[in-house]
Amino acid sequence: MDMEIIRQYLPLYRDALFLTLRIGWYGVFLALAIGLVCAMIIRFRIPVLRTIVKAYVGLFRNTPLLVQLFFIYFALPKIGIRLSAEFCGSLGLGLLGGAYMSETLRSGLESVAKIQEESAESLGMNRYQAFRFVIFPQAVTYSVPGILANVIFLLKETSVFSTISLMDLMFTAKDLIGMYAKTLECLTLLVIFYLIMLLPVSLLGYVLERRLRHAEFGD
Amino acid sequence: MKRITIKRVSAAILSFGLIIVLLAGCGSGSGDPSAPAYRTVDEIKKSGVINIGVFSDKSPFGYVDEYGDYQGYDVYFAYRIGKDLGVDINFVSTEAANRIEYLQTGKVDIILANFTVTPERAEEVDFALPYMNVALGIVSPSDAVIESLDQIGPDDEVIVISGTTAETYLEKNYPEIKLQKYDTYAAAKTAFENRNGVAWANDNTEVIAFAIENEGYVVGIPSLGSQDTIAPAVTKGNESLLYWLNDEIKALGEENFFHKDYEETLLDTYGKDYEDTLVVEGGVVK
Amino acid sequence: MQSLGIDVLFKGKNFARLLEGLWVAARVSLISSAVSILLGIFMGILMAGKNRIIQGIFRVYLETVRIMPQMVLLFIVYFGTTRVFGWNLSAEYAAVIVFSFWGTAEMGDLVRGALISIPKIQYDSARALGMDEKSVFQYVILPQTVRRLIPLSINLITRIIKTTSLIMMIGMVEVLKVAQQIIEANRRTSPNAAFGVFAVVFLMYFIVCWPIGRAAAYLEKRWAE
Repeated sequence: MDMEIIRQYLPLYRDALFLTLRIGWYGVFLALAIGLVCAMIIRFRIPVLRTIVKAYVGLFRNTPLLVQLFFIYFALPKIGIRLSAEFCGSLGLGLLGGAYMSETLRSGLESVAKIQEESAESLGMNRYQAFRFVIFPQAVTYSVPGILANVIFLLKETSVFSTISLMDLMFTAKDLIGMYAKTLECLTLLVIFYLIMLLPVSLLGYVLERRLRHAEFGD
Repeated sequence: MKRITIKRVSAAILSFGLIIVLLAGCGSGSGDPSAPAYRTVDEIKKSGVINIGVFSDKSPFGYVDEYGDYQGYDVYFAYRIGKDLGVDINFVSTEAANRIEYLQTGKVDIILANFTVTPERAEEVDFALPYMNVALGIVSPSDAVIESLDQIGPDDEVIVISGTTAETYLEKNYPEIKLQKYDTYAAAKTAFENRNGVAWANDNTEVIAFAIENEGYVVGIPSLGSQDTIAPAVTKGNESLLYWLNDEIKALGEENFFHKDYEETLLDTYGKDYEDTLVVEGGVVK
Repeated sequence: MQSLGIDVLFKGKNFARLLEGLWVAARVSLISSAVSILLGIFMGILMAGKNRIIQGIFRVYLETVRIMPQMVLLFIVYFGTTRVFGWNLSAEYAAVIVFSFWGTAEMGDLVRGALISIPKIQYDSARALGMDEKSVFQYVILPQTVRRLIPLSINLITRIIKTTSLIMMIGMVEVLKVAQQIIEANRRTSPNAAFGVFAVVFLMYFIVCWPIGRAAAYLEKRWAE
């Protein structure tokens, strides 16, 4: 392995990391927002919207992100919908993630015992208050491990952004290999940078999961 | 509770270390030239199959028709190579950025994927005699033609394909131009049609073909950079196949094979005008 | 209105080619799933045991696979290892290796989870009834574990199917690559083919994965007494 080459490529990978993180986090936030809205729609059994949400979740959970991105980025402009690559990346990740997050949050909501809601209402809270102050905080607590697993999954999935011209980590590696054929150096840097990006999230997941379980059951 | 967290954390860190060690080990081990990654002509003949890397989405040079058959200028030559070697052909679909990789790891015997000869590439692979001329060209929509690189604004993006000479050239000589890179021809062309970039830079053969085949596009810059050639490439050191290919290309020159190839595959696109500028016969550039 | 490009699918053998491409992806998924489930069961049983060294090794393996994107693993195996060891690895083998490597870890974790989720009291009660260790495992533990596992492993299979869309990146001609080839070959006559063809590929994946996911959900509901 040639250290000189690694030093030379380092800034390129750093830029790629920032780009990946930027798009990745937009996507994750979008996913959380979509997921929350969808989970509430299912929870409160809002007619029509509920059917739409179910169709959306089914469609996006059962297709690969790569195919979704190809559709959003290459096919939609043919019917006049033109979006920038960065926006497509975040949107695609958000739509995919939203489908997963809504399932996670929904099962979080379901795991809060029915009696909690009844008790809250018997204390004189209205349905909104019961949800806001009793059900929701507990549901989020239950969902945290699932949400973090989804975050890691989504950040990993950013590796397919390279296909829609986003200069993310994967693309940088592929591009440099294509131009200068320093395969091993490029792949090593790729692995290191993914670890830099994902190891902290993964560790945070463990710590939080422990904390939350501790909060619930004590030690 | 604490103990388990620590265990998981250390597992994660250990896995990190393991990968690094593994890769570093790989890196230092790569110095020894163990088994060569290529097959000689005799070995190819004995196996009865030759693996040829071509494009599958670069019409009219290498593409797949609606019956699933490979077609195009490069492919026409590939069929002839297979016939003259007396072996079957296994076409391997490649992308621009993979071409060197495929040769170096022995995944194909020959790359016939519109591979431009450059000094950088010649360090990694061996090129046989050329069979086509090429330079770079830039195509843009006819309502916003780009005739000089100065016209490209600081926020404009030019579409290129990863691993092509256009990419390397622009990156080296015009680092201030923003590039939008795709890894397949199909993706780049669709993105260009969708107007995700102001122009598309590539081999001039390719952009000229695009402007002829698709309405509403003009090649504003027909020739950029140096005049280069396109040649078959083999794995570095595979002399037996290299010499065989050189002899083959010389012999085919006798029968004007590449002119015939042009007429069969490129005439519909380019017309007669480009025949003599594009075709290199017998490996001799005029 | 201009056509949206569905028509190109009926030209020549285009639609059959797309299906063939889908089959390439499906074949890789099926082989990888089979390998993953077999090795994963073995792995999970080892993991649920008491041996700390084995648990440690498995943990490292699982973390590695969980953190690295599958595409990175594909590149390492297909381009990295072939270069280092000089072997000739076809893209299909590389894909099967990577997806089995990943699937085995995930399956192992599922099996381990299912095994340790059986409350200890089940073992104790069975023994109290006078069953020997073999019967305890065979008649009490195994049926419950399998019931918990089947829906989870079906979900893992759909994940593997979806992930195999990445094999296009190592040069395999699967359904997305065929889609690109069709779009390319018909660019002149139907410039909007990208819409129709990619929409059809999108639906194809849905049609394959959705029923499998439904089956898993159905089994899960039915067996959750």
